[in-house]
Amino acid sequence: MRTRSLAELMPLVAPVHILILSVIVLPSIFVIWLSVTESTYGQAPTWVGLANYARVLADPAFHGALWNTVVIVVFAVHIELAVGLLVALLFASGLLLRRLLLVAVLAPYAVSEVIAVVAWRYLFDPDAGPVTLALQAIGLPILDWSFEPVHAMILIGLLTIWLHLPFTFIILYAARLAIPSDLYEAARIDGATPLQAFRRVTLPLLGPAIVVALLFRYIFAFRIFSEVWLLTGGGPARSTEVVAVYLYQEAFSYNAFGTAAATAWIMVVASLLLAAGYVFLLRRQVTSNA
Amino acid sequence: MRSGRILVVAGKAVAVAALLTWSLVPIAFVVMSSVKPGQEIFAVPTVYAFEPTLEHYAELWRRWGQFFDGLIDSAIITAGATALAIIASTCAGYVYSRNSSRFLNASVMFLIVVRLIPPIVVTLPLFPLVNIMGLNDTHIVLMVLYATFFVSLGTVLMRTFIDQIPRELDEAAQIDGAGRLTILRRVIVPLAAPGILAVAVFVVVFAWNEFLFAFVFTATKAKTAPLVISEMIGSIDGVDWGILFAASTTQLAPILIFVVLMNRYLVAGLTAGATKG
Amino acid sequence: MKDKVTFDITRRGFLGTALGGAAALAAGPSFAQANTLNILSHRVHQAVLMPDGGENLLAEWKSAQDAEAAFTTFDSNPLMDRLFREASLGSTDYGVGYMVDNRPTSEIASLFEPLDSYQKDDPIEDFGDIAPGLVQGMTVDGNLIGIPVRHATQGLFYNEALLEEAGISAPPTTLEELVEQAGKLTFTSSAGTPVTGMILASDLAVFPVMFARAYGGDFITKDFELVPSPEAMEKGLDTLRGMFEAGSLPRSYATTKNDDMVTWIQQGRAAFTVLPFARNAQLNNPEQSKYPGKIKATAFPGSSSLPSGTPMAAVTEAWAMVVPKNAGDKQLAWSYIKEVSSKRVTTGMALNGNGPVRVSSYADPALIEKNPVAEVEAEVLATARGAFPPFPEAARAQATMLEEVQLAVIGRKPVKEAVAAIIERVKPLMPS
Repeated sequence: MRTRSLAELMPLVAPVHILILSVIVLPSIFVIWLSVTESTYGQAPTWVGLANYARVLADPAFHGALWNTVVIVVFAVHIELAVGLLVALLFASGLLLRRLLLVAVLAPYAVSEVIAVVAWRYLFDPDAGPVTLALQAIGLPILDWSFEPVHAMILIGLLTIWLHLPFTFIILYAARLAIPSDLYEAARIDGATPLQAFRRVTLPLLGPAIVVALLFRYIFAFRIFSEVWLLTGGGPARSTEVVAVYLYQEAFSYNAFGTAAATAWIMVVASLLLAAGYVFLLRRQVTSNA
Repeated sequence: MRSGRILVVAGKAVAVAALLTWSLVPIAFVVMSSVKPGQEIFAVPTVYAFEPTLEHYAELWRRWGQFFDGLIDSAIITAGATALAIIASTCAGYVYSRNSSRFLNASVMFLIVVRLIPPIVVTLPLFPLVNIMGLNDTHIVLMVLYATFFVSLGTVLMRTFIDQIPRELDEAAQIDGAGRLTILRRVIVPLAAPGILAVAVFVVVFAWNEFLFAFVFTATKAKTAPLVISEMIGSIDGVDWGILFAASTTQLAPILIFVVLMNRYLVAGLTAGATKG
Repeated sequence: MKDKVTFDITRRGFLGTALGGAAALAAGPSFAQANTLNILSHRVHQAVLMPDGGENLLAEWKSAQDAEAAFTTFDSNPLMDRLFREASLGSTDYGVGYMVDNRPTSEIASLFEPLDSYQKDDPIEDFGDIAPGLVQGMTVDGNLIGIPVRHATQGLFYNEALLEEAGISAPPTTLEELVEQAGKLTFTSSAGTPVTGMILASDLAVFPVMFARAYGGDFITKDFELVPSPEAMEKGLDTLRGMFEAGSLPRSYATTKNDDMVTWIQQGRAAFTVLPFARNAQLNNPEQSKYPGKIKATAFPGSSSLPSGTPMAAVTEAWAMVVPKNAGDKQLAWSYIKEVSSKRVTTGMALNGNGPVRVSSYADPALIEKNPVAEVEAEVLATARGAFPPFPEAARAQATMLEEVQLAVIGRKPVKEAVAAIIERVKPLMPS
């Protein structure tokens, strides 16, 4: 069984790799070529070397966008993980009407980003949104997101958590359910407090699921686009712009395909660096499973 | 002890209430707005008591025939993409689960690392290519694209699910003379069904809502529902919010029902996948 | 393509039956047309030609050419992107595209068929009647590459009911009056709605450009002069800044979008806004608006500091029909353009809400009766011009200007510095 030749296995692995190679890898290589040329509609590409990379890396607007992206990724993804974990434990602790509640928690996952933004923009309208009015009524500070860049970032973070919490939650919840209950039984008999049981049993056994959830969320959060583009458009005055918005502007508003391509590759490298730690953890897991 | 229990129950109730508010209020807003008289949707102060009306749905049906065409296109594309993604991921997941080599491990890593490339990047070079192949504005091109962007997650998940199935079963089948494809079909697929359904949920939700690829690669024949909705937000002749919310609700309903129906498999499938850890 | 029509009807019919709806789609199988002209446009361009339940203005063309028009529609920016991408291919299925007049740079224009020879061989009816300024905008490097079909000219909209409530009997005739009235109209209306004097989107060049022009300045002139009068630009931004400080522009100014302007006016949350005259119908639509019939339009006023008689150049944007160079049947495309540009169709489209490009359309009694703002629109159009001329880096220049304007209006940067920064940052983007 174990010593099959690769050639024999190929037909089964091939579809996945053919798809990935033809749809993602080859076009990406073409994008490398685009990134060392300058081109737009009606103008054939001309070789410019690394000028596009230099231009993007020197652009203060790009620095701002990169910084905002990293902030959103680091804050939103980790808060989402913590909340997702809490909700998963809440569900695992036994709830009435659990299946119904589960559906409610998963619901935002099915909502498309465009619709979500329209709803959120209205609910959080800084003058008249129902949420704003409710916050004012109970004397809490409101989110002045259309004026204060920090508040705008908070709203973007909340929205992205709203959209993606179901994903993180379901992965963690499933992993939590998979932990055999006799382990908790044993921990209880050994006199462990619930907190100790959490630290000694739950957390270590959830480890791999946490890594998977984090890794995929890092990847997706790094390319956050719709939430920002539709909510603030990157404003006020570009203060909430993220890398994907910067890229979109270069490609689709300014039709500068060279700088857009360079931005794309810088984005890949930056997200790779950020995710490197998690990829490393996952790789260890892959090898240990083998 | 008793008061402690009450405290726990109360705490849970508060947490559940907060969770429900968080998850459902924005969705309730969309659905409610779709049956609100047009001039009250964005009224300030907010109107909570109103006479529900189906006029926006009637208008949607009358004026936006292409939206319903879009729903059908979305359904066709979603079904195709899901089938393709599942077949490809199951086959690959099976191989990765049952075999191990330096090369195979590296190729799993490759599948994941490649996903770091944002989808927007490949649209520029793919557009002329798809045109040359004559696939522009076809269902096939979106099926292939959507499937491709999910085979990484799909393969990783399927590998974990198939790991749960005892090897002895396929070995027994092999002794009976079954080929690898037969084993896959007769042994693996039935036993990995909850996992397959769990993967399906991810692909279906993604394909149903995807916007960017649909925008770039379709025109009329394969125009999906999200594309038509985005056109409703168009800026030249103004947005009719009532119709927009009616369309949003219509587009949301089937996928929400799907998630509701599938949630049992989603949890069961992912749980089975996670026990390996 | 021609099979598509029947297929669509069947699919929808099927869905209709399945849902138990009336199978009102009794439109029989479409008779086989010899030709199909694929058109890439915004939905509104299609809607003015064949309105719901109205007369199909293309019927004559269809039977004369034995052809079918198949529209593919997108929202404006995606539409431009798609049009240019299609025109960059080896060949495209699209015979006609609709283009905004601030897009045709030399590079873009090179992708489209020069139409001068078509016009010479098979001329459009009374071509001189089409507003010469709009035709000029579609002439690039000496080639006529597009035939104007629609314009959107900006006017000042006001809520008459709110003005009355604040004791104001007439809309402003000078910018100073506008600012003063907007100040008075920042109050809580009798309906209990907090009202902001004016709402303007912050992601379009239109508004700062209008304010600069009100003081005799501009952003980029049609001769590519950048900020010809920095003082006028400063005064314009000072005015906006002052309005923001006084609360007569919403605090959410920096994230306000085009659609917000419409909903705010419809809901009585703002008293003034600047929008194309063509929006009059939507703003007064009783289905959406709380003030149907009360939203009126007038010309955007210039500053009283200008010498009297100086015309205020409002911003206008025009759409034109173009033919990709790589298109198939260009004669069919031209026959369509010719038909849509005819007097009959131009007036017909105007009655369906299209901004007519023919000066003569505005004299049509039916239009004057149907469109209460037609007269003032025609007047404003006479001196209106684009927000800025097309050039390769125009989109980037606009974004840069808007960033500085936002900083200045919300008070993160002194107005003087912002104007200096606009000049400094946009200069390298200007065509040489």
